[in-house]
Amino acid sequence: MADFDAIVVGSGMSGGMSAKELTERGLKVLVLERGPEIIPERDYVDQLAPWESPNLDNVAQDEIAEHYPKQYGGVAYAIKESNKHFWVKDDEHPYEEAEGTRYDWLRGYHTGGRSIMWSRQTYRLSNLDFEANKTDGHGIDWPVRYEEIVPWYEKVETFIGIAGSAEGLPQLPDSIFQPAFELTDAEKELKAKVESAFPERNVIPARVAHLTDATEEQRSLGRSNCQVRNRCHFGCTFKAYFSSLNATLPAAERTGNLTMVHNAIVQSIEYDAETNRVTGVQVVDAETNEKHLYTAKVIFLNASTIASAMILLQSKSVTFPNGLANRSDQVGRNLMDHVSGAGAAGLMSGFDNMKVFGRRPCGIYIPRYANLNGQDKPYLRGFGFQGGASPLGNAGGQIPGIGRQFKEAHKKSGPWRVSIGAFGEQLPNSNNRVTLHPSKRDRWGNPLALLNVTYSENEYTMLEEASKDAVAMLEAAGCTNITSSDVNLTRPGNRIHEMGSVRMGRDPSDSVLNGWCQAHDVPNLFVTDGSFMVSSGCQNPSLTYMAFTARAVDYAVDLLADGSI
Amino acid sequence: MKTRREILQGLIVSIGGASALAACNGAATVFATKSGSVGRFYTANEMALVSRISELIIPRTETPGALDANVPGYLDGLMADWANEETQQVHRNALQMLQSQLGDRVNGDFLDVTEAVAESALTELDAAAFEGDESLRGYRTLKSYVSQAYFATEDGAIDELKWVAVPGRWDPAVEIPA
Repeated sequence: MADFDAIVVGSGMSGGMSAKELTERGLKVLVLERGPEIIPERDYVDQLAPWESPNLDNVAQDEIAEHYPKQYGGVAYAIKESNKHFWVKDDEHPYEEAEGTRYDWLRGYHTGGRSIMWSRQTYRLSNLDFEANKTDGHGIDWPVRYEEIVPWYEKVETFIGIAGSAEGLPQLPDSIFQPAFELTDAEKELKAKVESAFPERNVIPARVAHLTDATEEQRSLGRSNCQVRNRCHFGCTFKAYFSSLNATLPAAERTGNLTMVHNAIVQSIEYDAETNRVTGVQVVDAETNEKHLYTAKVIFLNASTIASAMILLQSKSVTFPNGLANRSDQVGRNLMDHVSGAGAAGLMSGFDNMKVFGRRPCGIYIPRYANLNGQDKPYLRGFGFQGGASPLGNAGGQIPGIGRQFKEAHKKSGPWRVSIGAFGEQLPNSNNRVTLHPSKRDRWGNPLALLNVTYSENEYTMLEEASKDAVAMLEAAGCTNITSSDVNLTRPGNRIHEMGSVRMGRDPSDSVLNGWCQAHDVPNLFVTDGSFMVSSGCQNPSLTYMAFTARAVDYAVDLLADGSI
Repeated sequence: MKTRREILQGLIVSIGGASALAACNGAATVFATKSGSVGRFYTANEMALVSRISELIIPRTETPGALDANVPGYLDGLMADWANEETQQVHRNALQMLQSQLGDRVNGDFLDVTEAVAESALTELDAAAFEGDESLRGYRTLKSYVSQAYFATEDGAIDELKWVAVPGRWDPAVEIPA
């Protein structure tokens, strides 16, 4: 008799959704989290005022060099002295990069995973994305189309809460929205001029997982509307932005069906060849090094893309000598991220007499406009821009002048600064992969991840064009002092949208999962974090992970009920 | 009178942040050096120079200035606790460069001249730095530190910037009175 009906490995963005959906269907669920517990009342630091954080809340430079060279090198904007406990120490959690390559594996190990620190941009994919591989031949075809996932998008959106505006764009379908954060006047001017000069382009409010008109269900979980502090990277005492810790895990908890174990590092998944089922999960305690085997009828892998692939690769057996459910040899391959490194900034005059109230936790979005109706660009697929326009003020001290005039510059707004940066799609490529390092182990004896990812010519060409487009749009908007640094692609992994390492597909010979996120080779094993993604789109992906998760749970519970797994 | 912290706590309760209160305890303490003396990093001369430059950049007006907010002490703490050796050295060199350049501009010791003379010299140097004189890059860094530190103090954030902990709403278009 199994200990639990289901085990969920990982408590982040998708693991929380697995836990919620499984427990709400009445299953007894164990969630394994490799990091320590985060208790919002104790560990969120969003209430600190600026003067309560020494040294401008900067982490000491020597400490960065010792503990956070990768993490800080990747997301300096998000790692501060007060919230550094949300990020792993690189010296405690090392990984390796293949010779001649670089990779940013940016993460935190704790309740809620990266859903605590994400930047909350939330967009649907469209059929343009689900058909992309089939259309241009890169990667394999998605086994799912947009229409099939729509009800699950709706279910997840209703639960998590998304602030956004309905725009009716086929390439970026509308979600179920709460009121958007309205554009600033300068952004409205940008919108009018860009949309007039480039009719196929749109400037819209960013869509973000923030409550702006909380529902009864959201309030019942202790969540309230966004207070517009922009302190999200420090946790949110108001639970106004979605994280699994703020929403899905509490929802799972209140069913009475949830058990959570922290500091539980998964070493392998146990497989029984006779029944062709996974039977349990072998973990080591991060603090005591004690080992423990937990058993369950069904296993959901939500450890995050790289870690889920590694767990499968580590789970070797006679049946699966190359890793669990890996007959296709696709586990660990096709690792994708989004790519940035092109954009522009400029100044917009005419709004000197305007300022804003509140610290908006988001900005604008320019949805993909490239290759919407057939191939019309010198690159495949496309990109969106994120950005915003805000008063220059005193620009952190970087404007000329001293004395009263400098001191009070922030009161006058001055010109407004517009900036936009591209997020582009990365083509799937089976050579971009994570493998187990052949010899190096971490302190718990698990192999280190060896990452080997490079960009293709398409990403370089795309970003060069994105840079020109960005400048052209700011010119059209009448900006002055336009700057656009040389295109310099972000390191793979840097956008923290890594995905694709356990892809789904129709054919078990070239994919690991079927369209339900169920392993082709092992029917009671589901992988519903970003691993299943077959192409990356250019949209921030968390919503899609959660929608597929909810759909996979529904499918799995039905299979359990009818006895087929 | 209620402290700001108490007001914030009341506000959190009133808008329904259910589990907020415990998070308000145990705030970090800022260790800033007292102004006008030898610092933990700055020599007495450096402290005097940083004090003079800070107050010229952000003077006391109807609201507190850089000295009221103890910006020099803040920067001393920043250098002692945050900066690595390289950053410390770069900063020290920048102060030396500034003292020398400002001394040249006032034909004497920048710390001894009158307020008006010092202000005029720093105004010129500031203009040169923002017109692209690369040798003055260290000044721009110092100015950035001064500005950030000032607005990170309670004086700068509350009294000058009118910073509010919990805006509670977003207004993208607020007219500034002429």
